[in-house]
Amino acid sequence: MRPDAPQNNPANVSGTGGAGQSGNYTGFAYGENSALNNSRVEGNAAVASVNAAAPSSQGDPYADMNMSPLGTFMDPTNNPSEPITAGVDFGPGPGSEALPNAFKSDARQDENVKIAMSYLPDLSLAAQSPNAPDSYKRFVNYLIQNSNGGING
Amino acid sequence: MADVTFSPGSFFDNVDKFANSLGYQNAGIAIELAMIPWKSPEERDAFIVGITEEDVKGGNEKNYIKRNF
Repeated sequence: MRPDAPQNNPANVSGTGGAGQSGNYTGFAYGENSALNNSRVEGNAAVASVNAAAPSSQGDPYADMNMSPLGTFMDPTNNPSEPITAGVDFGPGPGSEALPNAFKSDARQDENVKIAMSYLPDLSLAAQSPNAPDSYKRFVNYLIQNSNGGING
Repeated sequence: MADVTFSPGSFFDNVDKFANSLGYQNAGIAIELAMIPWKSPEERDAFIVGITEEDVKGGNEKNYIKRNF
């Protein structure tokens, strides 16, 4: 026995679990080692061929999906049969009653009030301008009157 | 110096148009839309007409109602 041989070095661990350096299976019954090694080689070749045939799966996993590009805020609608205001309580189309229950929440209404109230001081100041339209003054008066009880339409 | 607070396309002009066109109950949405840097008052008004299918509301009483009778 040669003490400095690789198979005798306890720190020399094969990734395949065997003691050898080739990656081949060893230690099975007679004839099974070569069969296992052949199946391993064939399996690796099959995986390599699949990967080579579908390069897109390596790069962009969504390349094969037919997805329309995201539009901007001012782009025409992708669903012309449905009014853009469907689901909200103004404009054409069904109102918020048409939304699924999961979408029904008073969180948006709370946010609506919070936004309006946070800008109320500046809006009130602008209402004192001599050029302020009457419609604007009515809107600010509405916000002031509802500043305590909230805006609930 | 002229008061430009309510000049066409200004923030407060936008608030006036959106709040009166969308309804006071949608005040928060109106203020958010008023912050958008619209290219022009015409583009803003076209947006309002598009979502309400009605004429733009707001402005001075003299031009408050734009619809022809």
